[in-house]
Order: sequence, then structure tokens, then C-alpha cells
Amino acid sequence: MKIEINDLRFTYPTGLEALQGISLTIESGEQVAIVGQNGAGKTTLVRHFNGLLQPTAGSVLIGDWDTKITSVAKLASRVGYVFQNPDEQLFSKDVGTEVKFGPRNLGYSKDKTDELVKRALTLTELSDKTETNPYDLSPTWRKMVALASVISMDTPIVIFDEPTTGQDALSIARIAHVIAELRREGKTVVTITHDIDFCAENFERVIALSEGRILLDGVAANIFGQDEVLAQTYVDPPQLTRLGKKLGFKETVRNQEEFLTSLRGTSDSE
Amino acid sequence: MAFINLNNVTYKYPLTKTPALQNINLQVNEGEFVAIVGPNGAGKSTLCYTLAGFVPHFFKGEISGTVEVAGMDSSKSTLDEWVLNVGLAFQNPFNQISGAKYTVFEEIAFGLENTGVPRNEMKPRVEEAMKLTDISNLADRSPYSLSGGQQQRVALTSILVMRPKLLVLDEPTSQMDPIGTREVFGVIRKMAEGGMTVVMVEHKMEWIANFADRVVALKDGQVLMEGKPNEVLTSELLAENGFGVSRYTSTTREAKKQGLWKKENLPVTLDEAVEGFKK
Amino acid sequence: MHERLSFFVKRDSALHHLNPLTKIVLALSIILVSIFSPWYWTSHGLLLVVIVPLVFIGKVANEYFTSALRLILPAAGFIFFMQAFFQPIGQTVIFNFWFLDITQESLLFAFRIATRITVMISAFTLFLLTTHPSELMSDLTRRGLPPQFAYVIISTLQILPQMQAKAQTIIAAQRSRGLDTESTFFKRIGSVVPLVSPLVFGSLVEVEERAIAIEARGFTSKKAKTSLYEISDRSSDKFIRWGLVILVIISIVLKLWLS
Repeated sequence: MKIEINDLRFTYPTGLEALQGISLTIESGEQVAIVGQNGAGKTTLVRHFNGLLQPTAGSVLIGDWDTKITSVAKLASRVGYVFQNPDEQLFSKDVGTEVKFGPRNLGYSKDKTDELVKRALTLTELSDKTETNPYDLSPTWRKMVALASVISMDTPIVIFDEPTTGQDALSIARIAHVIAELRREGKTVVTITHDIDFCAENFERVIALSEGRILLDGVAANIFGQDEVLAQTYVDPPQLTRLGKKLGFKETVRNQEEFLTSLRGTSDSE
Repeated sequence: MAFINLNNVTYKYPLTKTPALQNINLQVNEGEFVAIVGPNGAGKSTLCYTLAGFVPHFFKGEISGTVEVAGMDSSKSTLDEWVLNVGLAFQNPFNQISGAKYTVFEEIAFGLENTGVPRNEMKPRVEEAMKLTDISNLADRSPYSLSGGQQQRVALTSILVMRPKLLVLDEPTSQMDPIGTREVFGVIRKMAEGGMTVVMVEHKMEWIANFADRVVALKDGQVLMEGKPNEVLTSELLAENGFGVSRYTSTTREAKKQGLWKKENLPVTLDEAVEGFKK
Repeated sequence: MHERLSFFVKRDSALHHLNPLTKIVLALSIILVSIFSPWYWTSHGLLLVVIVPLVFIGKVANEYFTSALRLILPAAGFIFFMQAFFQPIGQTVIFNFWFLDITQESLLFAFRIATRITVMISAFTLFLLTTHPSELMSDLTRRGLPPQFAYVIISTLQILPQMQAKAQTIIAAQRSRGLDTESTFFKRIGSVVPLVSPLVFGSLVEVEERAIAIEARGFTSKKAKTSLYEISDRSSDKFIRWGLVILVIISIVLKLWLS
């Protein structure tokens, strides 16, 4: 499902102009990371995707639905949104019920709900914890419950707001796996992150926001090469990109594979 | 005698079955900067609470072994005596705002008011601390109006202003951008060089390697390994146990297997990696 | 985004310069006189002759009339209608609706109660708008109130607006999961649990962490506390306080005497 944003502007009641004219198209099945300093407008932008915020000017289209005239409850069938803090959404007595909440709200049949819940729990490695109270789990696992409870809604678009904050290496690997799986299923994934290495390893397209405007938008390799521009929004390029640059690689490298390929290239030529 | 001396410390929170800390032995010298690493649930925060006196005095539960910090013995001291020597800042900055103060300046003075610092000393001390962490420009703002990263700086400053002998920090830069992180690590390094002892839980390996004197790796409530940053952070043991490592380390490990890295030691920081590959 | 999460508004006014205790006594006196005065028009008079001028003296007219009244008026309106309909007093029926009679007496009674409620909330709001939370805390502890007690009062005042902000996030998160909070009454009732339980649980965690944070900053230290600000308590403050106490006593005596 396509997301089309046309000259979107948003001003908070306090007078803060959080978004100052954003135009953007995200094609069906794209994996997009949004980066930028605190206050750049990242969360404000994605909260327009499911109608939590309404444009002050401009428009947001989710497929053929205009978010201005579609309710949040209805948009929830197209856009899933995983909030940053799982503790601000978990309320059920056990994990299974929690994950069922979304699909039930969307009015899916019992069979379909059960199937979606099962798939979400498998994907997030929670299958052995369905009976557990979410609050008896560690914060790391509570995050996975929050992920599962949105994935179970089977929306064509999934938004993650800072999924890796406070997570350890194993948990980050689990989240990366979930995102890869969503990509395989052809879903659109939009992720806000300040974990730039995570971004480099899991996303093709990167959008850098700064002060309510798009600073850079394009293929990850191109974006990370522009470290002076990125610095404007307080983003450091990924570790391997920086290393590659210091070693004088011609290409901008993002991940281990690209780094090692370039490294072999330079040592062969010597 | 060491400044921090943990001897065979085992601790269990009330109503839990497994101990959060098991047979921890740890000695830290005055002015040392020690980083604690480990996966979630390894006992890092519990160790912080133990050093700061909240385990067992605040959380209760069962503790065995001895905890000595700055000449105080945990079994003989009360929490209010303990906090005069040991400062604690933890991850969530929002919950560290006292809620009783209107501006950042007042928020930072809160600890001084509580511990009876005379008014004429208070102002210069708050100003000095704010200068150190570079938040002087936030003095008149409401602490609640700040970003997470700025709130973390306020939380750190609120502790530094009390001039503790031991500074315990549990992921104090988790919500900061790279530039903020670098600055804060610089401040903490400076404090350690001035004689303050620092124990810090942190995930950002590159920064630990750049700034800390020693690294302690925890897993399942036990010390898995300790030593010099490069030695610990590049060890196979950590990689096997699911610890996060810097990309410089993990990628170079792969490069080494393919014969593209000639040195014995793996790098943790950018500079180490650049140096190693250029040779 | 939330620049002002406390009710206090920093201004330079005569009201702001009063000692915090004087302002507490002022608010309480207004409330007590409004309750005890034997005359029908006292509350209305207090509102027009005392509270409204004080709002201007305190330079908080903007905050009071825009935000505070938005809270107060619906509450007062609700009470007015409840009292007007369900107060079984009087014979002079002026309006009849189904089995409910509205009498002149019940209407007058409702008007009095609603105004009294407005006066009570307004007096308290005025106090919050013009009193610096930490000055209040320092002043009360200096006068011998246990610091824990003072802290609970002050932090509650600050934490209410924060909880409101948090509740907004929770509502947003649950609506994103398809929770319908807007359409029918029954759907709204059904949405209470998903909205309230994260708020309650989150608050429990917050309370524990905050307790650790303030303890780490020597909150229960046995040393004598000091204060960043010198809090003025002029002789005029004492004069005003005693004057107010006498006014309250007079209205109680009048009430007993006249009834």
C-alpha cells in the first residue's frame, strides 16, 4: 500500500511549526528509515500516517484513503503503529489476550484472528509465553509483546517508533528479524530510529529530517556518504561507513558484506 | 584497601526465586573509571543499586557478602549517610526529575537544599556544575519541557553538584545524540581524573573503549570477565554470550578469518580499526 | 512541547510576592467564608468583589479566564442542573419536566451551590497560579511540616499535568490498535481498561523510580535543610493572615448566631 504525502504542514497548538512542507511518496513494500535529531519532526510525521494527527495544511493519502476524512479506528486496518514505550499500551492479563486485542478490534473472524495471533507470536519468539502476564516479563520481552500486538493486525503498513531503544544485542537481532520477515511478506515498513548502525543494516531507503523539513531522502548508501549534511541533524554515519571512508574506499559501505568486499578490492589492487 | 570492595555478594529481590547477583567480587580503586556491560537481565542495574546503597536498604530482599564503599560498610550504614558519598543517576531521565521544582536551576539545587548546604554556597556550586555539563542555557527552563537527552544532562548535573566520591551511572546517555554522548563521556572522564570514582553501565562500546579504564562484563548476575577495555570487548567469550560488540570488532573478526586483518588484537574503536587496516 | 507542566505562572505581582502560607490562608478563608456565611449573596459577592479583582492583581487573568474557567464552569453547570432538578424543596413550581418539578426555591438553591463551587475551585486555582511550588515546599518545611508530606503535596500538583500528557500517549497507542474511543457510549465504556491500566501500572513504576531519585539526592538526610531562595514573610503577611482568620471566625459565629 502506497503512502502519499503532499506538502504536509503541521503546527502544534503552542505555535511550534513541527512540519514545514513535507512531500513524500513511499511505495508499497518499501523499507524506510527516518533519522534526525530530537525535535526534527520524526514522530510528528509518522503520527499523520494513521490519523493520530491531522495536517494543518497539505494531505496524507494511505492507498486511496485520505487521513483527513478517515477515522483512526478505520485507518488502523491499514497502518499498524508500534509505540516507543510498551508500558504505554500493554494492559491484558496475559500475552495471548494482549496480542488478540488489535485483530479483534478490526473485526476479523475468530479463525483468522487465531491464525494471525499465532503467526505474530511465532515471529516474535513469544510462543512459549502466551499465558504469561506481560508485566512479569523483562522490559526487553515486553517490547516484543508490543511488536506482536501490532503485527497481529496484519496491516499492509507497519510503523516502528525507536524500536531498538533500551534493547540489548539479542533483542535488536530479534527486531531486525521481524522487520526482514515483514519485508518478505511485501509489507511497507517505516521506522524512526537513532540507531544508525541498525538503520544501515536493515533499511534500503533513508530519510533524514531536520527542523520539520526533509534534509536528505534516498538510497542508504548515498545518504550515509554525505556526512557533512547529516551532521546538520546530529547524525553520525554508521561505524563501517566511517571506517570505509577513513580507509579511502571509493564506494560508501553500509554493512559488513559491503565493507569486506571493498576491503578485498583495495588489498587486491595493492 | 580498595575504594569499592564487594566480597562474595549475592542478592535476591523480595518475592523472586533466582538471585539477581551471585558471588560478585569487585575491587575498584579511587579515581578509576569502570564500565559495566552485559545483556538485559544480567544484573547491571542491581549492581548499580548495590553500590549506591539502595540494595538492600531500599529494596529489602536478602543479601550476603560484604559491600564496602569509601570506607563505609553497607551493613552498618544507613541510606541517608550512604548517599552523601555516592551519587546515582539512572536511565529514565523523566522519572529522575523531582517534580518539586519549577526550573532546571532549582532542580539541580534540590540535593544541596536537602543536605543542608548554606545558601551562599549553593548558587556558585549549581552554576559551576551546569557549566561543566554545558546546560547553563537551560537554567530557567522547566525540567519537564526538555528533550530526553537534555533531561539526562540535568539528572547527571543534579548528582555531580553534590560532589560524591563515587558516581554510579546506569546508561546515562541512552537518549543522547552522538555529539551529546561524546561530551558527557568527556565530562565523566574529567571527573575521574579529578579523583572521583566512576562506575557506569553503558552499551556504547566504542565510547567505553575510548574513555574507561576497565570493563566488567556481567551475565546472569555473575562476573563473566573483567579487564582492560580492548581485551574484554574483543574477547570471543563476549561474542559467544550474546553481548553487543562494536561493528569494528565484529567485522574485523570476520576480516581476520579471511586473512584481511593481520594484527593479533581486534579493534573496538574507529582509530584502532583504521590503524590496524592501514598497516 | 509542554513548556508549562505546572500550574504556576511566573509573574511580578503583589500576589506573587505574598508569603506562600498567606496565600494558603487566603484561599482557605475565601472557601470557609463562602461555606459559613449566613447570607444568600455572599458567594456571588466573593466571586465578583474578591476573586475577580485578585485575578487581575495577580496578573493571571489570561490563564484564569481561558484555561481555568474551562474546567470550572462545566463542573459548576453540572452541579447547578443536578441541584435544580433533584432538590425536593419549595412549592413554587415554575417548570415541569416529566416527573420532575423545578421550583423557584430549588433554582435559587442550585444557583447558590454552583456559585459556591465556582468560588471554591477558583480560590484554589488562584493559589496554584500564583504560588511557586518549591517556595511553598521550602516555606512549609521551614514551619515544621514534615518534608515528605510537603513533597507529596507539591509533586502531586506537578504530576497531574504530566499524567494528562501520558494519558494522551496511551490513548494514541490504543487508538492505533483499532480501539474505538469516539463512537458510541458503550464502546467508550469498553475502552476504559486498555486506557486506565497502563496509566496505573506506569505510575507505580514511576513512583518507585522517583523515590529512588530523590533519595539519591539526600531527601531523607537528617541534616537541617536549607533553601535556595529566601522566602519573604513580612509583617504585612502576618497582618493579612490574622485578619483573614478573624473574618472566618466572624462568619462562623454569625452562622451559629443567626440560625
